[in-house]
This record gives sequence, C-alpha cells and structure tokens, in this order.
Amino acid sequence: MLPATADIKRLLAAIDGATVAEEALGVIARVPLAAVNEALGAIKAAGYESLVDFDGIDTGELIELTYRLRSFSLDLEVHVKSTVAYGGTIESVWYEYPSALMPERETAELLGIHLAGHPNPKRLLTTDGVEPLLRKDVAIRTVEEVKAR
Amino acid sequence: MNAIGIGALKVLAALALMLVNGVVLIYMLRKVLGHLHLRLGPTHVGWKGTLQTTMDVLKLVTKEDITPRAVDRWLFRLAPAMVFVPSLMAYAALPFSDSWRITNLDAGLLYTFTALSIVPIGVLMAGWASANKWSLLGGMRAAAQQIAYEVPLLLSVLPIVMLVGSANLGTIVEAQQGTLFGVLPRWFILNPLFWPTFLIFVVASLVESNQTPFDMSEAESELVSGFSTEYSSMKFGLLYLSEFSNGFIISALGVTLFFGGWTLPWLPAPVVSALGPLIFMIKTYIGIFVMMWIRGTYPRVRIDQVMQLGWQRLIPISLVWIVFSGIVIKVWS
Amino acid sequence: MNGGSEETLATGVLGEGRHDPGTPPAGLRRAPAGVDGLTTEHLIINMGPQHPSTHGVLRVLVEVDGEEVVAAEVSVGYLHRGIEKLAEYRRYDAVGTLLDRGDYISGMMAELAFALATEQLMDVEVPRKAHWLRSLASEINRITSHLIWYGTFGLDAGGMGQFLYGMRDREALLDILEALSGSRMMFNYIRPGGVLADMPTGLDAKIRAFLGTFDQYLDEHDQLLGGNEIFQARVKGVGVIDRSTALAFGLTGSNLRGAGVDFDVRKARPYAAYPELDFEVPLGTNGDAWDRYNVRMAEMRQSARMIGQLIDGMPEGPHMAKVPRIIRPRAGEVYASVESTRGETGIHLVSDGTEHPYRMHYRGPSLFAAQALEEILPGHLIADVVVIIGSTDVMLGEIDR
Repeated sequence: MLPATADIKRLLAAIDGATVAEEALGVIARVPLAAVNEALGAIKAAGYESLVDFDGIDTGELIELTYRLRSFSLDLEVHVKSTVAYGGTIESVWYEYPSALMPERETAELLGIHLAGHPNPKRLLTTDGVEPLLRKDVAIRTVEEVKAR
Repeated sequence: MNAIGIGALKVLAALALMLVNGVVLIYMLRKVLGHLHLRLGPTHVGWKGTLQTTMDVLKLVTKEDITPRAVDRWLFRLAPAMVFVPSLMAYAALPFSDSWRITNLDAGLLYTFTALSIVPIGVLMAGWASANKWSLLGGMRAAAQQIAYEVPLLLSVLPIVMLVGSANLGTIVEAQQGTLFGVLPRWFILNPLFWPTFLIFVVASLVESNQTPFDMSEAESELVSGFSTEYSSMKFGLLYLSEFSNGFIISALGVTLFFGGWTLPWLPAPVVSALGPLIFMIKTYIGIFVMMWIRGTYPRVRIDQVMQLGWQRLIPISLVWIVFSGIVIKVWS
Repeated sequence: MNGGSEETLATGVLGEGRHDPGTPPAGLRRAPAGVDGLTTEHLIINMGPQHPSTHGVLRVLVEVDGEEVVAAEVSVGYLHRGIEKLAEYRRYDAVGTLLDRGDYISGMMAELAFALATEQLMDVEVPRKAHWLRSLASEINRITSHLIWYGTFGLDAGGMGQFLYGMRDREALLDILEALSGSRMMFNYIRPGGVLADMPTGLDAKIRAFLGTFDQYLDEHDQLLGGNEIFQARVKGVGVIDRSTALAFGLTGSNLRGAGVDFDVRKARPYAAYPELDFEVPLGTNGDAWDRYNVRMAEMRQSARMIGQLIDGMPEGPHMAKVPRIIRPRAGEVYASVESTRGETGIHLVSDGTEHPYRMHYRGPSLFAAQALEEILPGHLIADVVVIIGSTDVMLGEIDR
C-alpha cells in the first residue's frame, strides 16, 4: 500500500533537494547521494523497518539506485532513489538496514561503483576481471549473433 | 596338525566370515534401505542384484589408490589396518555354538569390548592423518564418543555377569537354556531385571559401533564423509567393511547376552546342537535388520546431545542399576 | 592446516576494500569466544561449494572453536549466469525461460512476477481463467518445492527415510505440471497476457485424485520427520531468527512468518486468483527451525486446499488475452512481487518502449535468507549449521541469478 506523499515529504523536510512524487512504481523519494543515509535513517525512524530490495539501473548517463523500503506494521512501501556517476562511490546503508549488505555488493560489482563503509566490500557474484555486466556499454552477444556464429 | 596351524586356520575362517558377511550385509543394507525408501535397491547384476556388491568389491580393489600429498603417510596407511584388525580380533570369543568358537575365553565379554574399543583409535588416526578438517572433526568425535560410551556399555552388562557368575560368553548362553513355565524361553531379555540393561546396551552399542542415529564420526550430511573422506580404493573398502563387521559383532553380542545365543528352547538338544551356528546367525541378522531399519528412518543426534546422554544419563543409570540388581540377585539366591 | 592459498575475491573496482576471505566481516555478530572460558585455537572450515548439505553451491566459511561456530561468512556466486543481463537481450515472452532457471525448483513464481510487472505497462485485460490457472500452477509448484525442501531438510538432519516419500508425491505433481505446461521444471508457462495453454481435459480428475490422498500422505510425512523425537531435539530452539532480525535482514516468506510476522503477499497485495480464494496464513512464534518447519508443512496443507478450490471454481473462457506477437510495453518503471515458495519474489522492470526490457532486476528472497545466515550461525554447532541452512530453504539459483 502506498503512503501519503505528504507524509514522506515531512520526513525528508530536513534534506536539501529531496523530492517526493507518486509514479507507476509507487511513492518515490529522490534524494541526493550524500543524503541517502540521512534520508533512510529518517524513514526508518518512521517505522519502515525493512529494506526489501536494492538495485541499480544504468540510465545511460549515470547509475540510478533504488531502495525499496517497507513497514510491516503500517503495511506501507516507499522507494528512495538516488543517483551516482559511473565509478563513483556510494555510502553503505548496512548500519540502518543490514539487508543491504549483499545487494550493495552485487550492485557495486555489476554496475562498476565503489562501496564505502561496507564491512565486507568484496565481489559477490563474479570473479576478478569480469567487467561490470549490467552497464549498458558492456555488450553481450545477441541471439542473432549467436545464431550467425 | 600343530597348534599354530590350527590357530592360523581359525583366523582365516574368521577373516572369511568377515569378508563374506561384509558382502552379504552391504547387499542386505541396500535392499532393506531400498524397500524402506520406496525403491528396489540393486536389481540388475545377478539374480535380484545379488552380485552387485561382489562387483562393487572388485571395483574397489581395482581402483586407483590415491594418497593425497599433505597426508601423514605412515599413519594414513596404518589407520585402515588399525580399524580392520581389532574388528577381526573381536570374532575370537563369539560362541557360534557350543563347539563352534575360535577360543573359549573366560573373560570373553571383556575381550570383545576391548577389541572393539581399539577401533576408534584407528578412526582417530585416519582422521588426523588425512590432513582434512572434516576428517579431523570426525576423528575427534569418534574419540570423544568412545570415551563417553565405553563406560556405560561395560557397566550395562555387569548385572548379567553378576547373575551368571562368569564373563565367558559360552557360559552366559548356557545360563539361558531351557524354558520358563514350559513355554517362554529363559532368555535374559524376558527377565524384567535386564530390561533397563538391554536399553542401555542397545544405545551404547549403537554409539560404539558408529551406527545411525549416532554415526557421529561419519555424519555424511555434516562432515562430508568424516574420517574416511580422503580414503579411496581398498583402504576405503577396509574402513567400510569393518563398519559392517562391527555392526555384526555388536548384534552378535546382543544375541549372546539377551536372546540366548545359539539356543532355541523348543527344539530337542541334538537338533539345537547341530543347528546352533545357523540359529545364531539368523538371530544376529534379525538384530542387524533392526539396526538397518533404524538407519533408514532416524535422523542423526547432535554431538553434544550424544555426549550429554552418555555422561549425564546412561552412566548414572547403569551405576544405580548395578547396585539395585546386585541386591536383587543376592536376595533372590 | 589452514595455511593454504585461497584466492582473494576482491580486486578490480572493489579493490579498496580488499579483505581476507578467511576472516568473517567485521561488524557482524561473533559468538563470544570459548565455552566456559575455555578457548582453543580457532579453525576456519570451508563448507561448500561441494559440501553434500549446502543445497547446491552455497559456500559458508565457518570459524569454529572446537565444534562451535564463532563466526560465519556466506560466499555465493558459483551459479551466476547473468539472468538480469540476458533478459535485456530477450523479448518479453522469452524472459520467462530465463527466470525459470532462477529459482529452478519453483519456476512458476518468478514467471508470474514478471508477467504481472509487464502487464502493468501493457494496458491488457488478463482473462479471469488465466488468473485462476496462474494461481493453480503456482500452488502446485509451491507444493513440489516444499516437498523437496521437506526431503532435503530431513537429509540435513541425518535422516534418509523421508526423502523419497516426498519425491513420490512430487513426482505425481510434476506429471500434473507436465500435462499443464508441457514441462516438468522449466515451464515458461505464465506469459505476459495470460498463460500459454488451457488445462487439458481430464487433468482436473487427475488433480482431484492426487488431492484425495495428499492430506493423508502429508500426515504421514509429518509423523515420519516431525514426529521423531530426535528430529525435534535437533530443530527446536535452533537457528532462532527473531522478529527484529528477520525484518532487519529483509527476510520474507516462511522464514519471516516463522518469526510471527503476518505478511503474505498473497493476502497483503492480492494478485491472480488469490483475492477469491479462502486460505489461511500459518504463523510461527519463536522463529526457530522447528517453527519454520511447521509453517512450511502447514503451507502445503493450505496450498492443497487452494488447489481444490481452484479446480472446483475454474471459470470458462479464454486463457490468454489478445497480446501482440511482439510485446512492446510503454516506457516506464514498475515493480511486481509475488509470494514464491521462499518468500517475496520481486521483479523491478524498467521498459523503454522497445521489445526488450531496458533493465530487469530479480529479487531472489533466498539472497536475503543467505546473508542472514552470517548473523544466525555464530554460537551454533557445525551439525546445526546444515540444519539451519536447510531450515531457511535457500535456493542458489535465485541467489546467484
């Protein structure tokens, strides 16, 4: 279920540049990268006790991060989005949400970004030397190419 | 023929019994487990798969014997022998009938327990020498388990020794001949004084012979394959064989102590005397079947639970029971 | 003995956080060293990826003091196939094929999540029958998956008996799924817009015949494993995931409900035919392995109940909406989640209006269960490690993707 946009706005009032909007995905709060930890802390204090999902999207210019938070007691969900440049560094949110530990490692490795403040910032899924696979500039063979081989 | 020749023949006979037993028991295990698990077990090689284990033994013999580089070579080679030989030794005192036995030892019961208690030393050697952490854990478990259960196993059977007045296995069997009220056999299992004794004996002997639910040192779902992880070819074969042999010995001891050994009360004495070994084997195999039944059904107990059961329950209970049954036996006679 | 050279996992972009794989991460829980003040030298044991009880290729590094686990690190990635990347090169009707190979024991769930996500961007009216067939396929698949879990959980605890009894029932269900979808494991049955095929004639009788015996078989399973004293001693009080830990680590599904949190996507965010079905959500209290066992056994009963209702009330009509041969959803970003066997399977789908997804993120609930293991395992014995891994029912296909 979706929370009221105004509620989330009130939670993020202290953060410069935070915008809240309702889209197809749900209620989305966009915050600057530097304020992610602060925003998540504020939202967690309001009862959103679980980070359900975390992933990154390569938009072609930068990487968009999506934190999906849920409150089981209030039965509400909110998305927090932020952006980071290629090769940039994101601050780990594991202290607020331990469930971000592995998804952060996976996102960092598959989208080629760095992790700061993470207790175990190793690769998760692939081995050394594999390029950040989910970046759009990393191409794989298409079905047609495989067939033509 | 001189004494040494006869002795050698007897050892050979025990060895042959052990090997044939191993092959038969493995086939039986696979069939019993198969049918317990809605399967058929081996069906293809020979009639109903009877030759399957023979072929498996041939396969084991012809396989490459791998010795990993990091192992302690001498201990690694010695360990299967240390497991196999005591298991073979334990056959010496078993009374297959009033005349079929390798030796007639007055301390036969103690001797058999002693022989069996050497096996875990071999297991510990195998675990240590393998240079594998899983093997090491398996070996350590075997040692801990051994120390914890040797005591209740021995204590549990003392009431029988007190009643019979002998630790000779043959004498113990002879004390169980005849019938009660003309119908029931005079087996010790039917004597209420020995029911706790029997329970403690069953649990402690399952632990001693490393059978499910106490197969701590092997524990394939926890320790990969425990102490035998690094063994291959016939070295593994020896470890595997002695496991079945220990099961046989424990079952045979149970039959001797509680189920009247080679005797069967309803048959005339000459028939029993002639069929003694057969009766003994059938009873032993029934015991082994029960062990396999448990193996096919029960989950494994955790190591700390095993230790707790041994030290905190079985040893005090068996001590109390020795005192109690001693008084009963004294008052009765 | 532990001096061998293990390859470092961290280089490249993550190089600055170089970390010795032998020592578990700082910040996570470590059990207090030593029992009763007795400390011995610690041993680091590499459990998996070829260990018999790590359910595929899970690797757990456990630091043990004697047999007691002091710290644990979960290492995954041995089954990474790049499903998310490959999906960006597949057309929408072919992505299901990839998702089947995610959680390969219950492939229907991820297919359904993807179909639900795509339909949000498609302006398509999914026929009522398709909804019911989707629920039917999901519930049958849930039972097959739980039966596998039941068998292997018993194997982890050291029992062999229950495994093939579970397989017997699963076999009957796989035959039903084969009749329904044409395949036993890799279905690609649930597509955007509906389902691939209608129910073949005579299948409802077959399902009814199965349901007729299943309740009795389920009692038998429960007695065989759950009724065993030794098994109860192995699982009661072991691997406790309390409410706050479960929420903090993002657990969902039976692992979360075992801790007493009443959240089931089928009830909380109803999809497919679930709003019309009558079922209960079983809950645990302590969050130990025994609670998770009971929750899953009860879930199988509920699934069987739902299958009965789905067969009885199966509506008439088409099983597939009119969708174009090449699906081009409008541009946008959506999230759809379903209650899969292991928890909440979510698909985060970003479309740019072309015939391929722009980005598809697949949330595997097992990933969250696996990282929670690092928190739960310390303080238990090695024998408990395999039981706890079994009780959380992790599936490596959806962890590694």
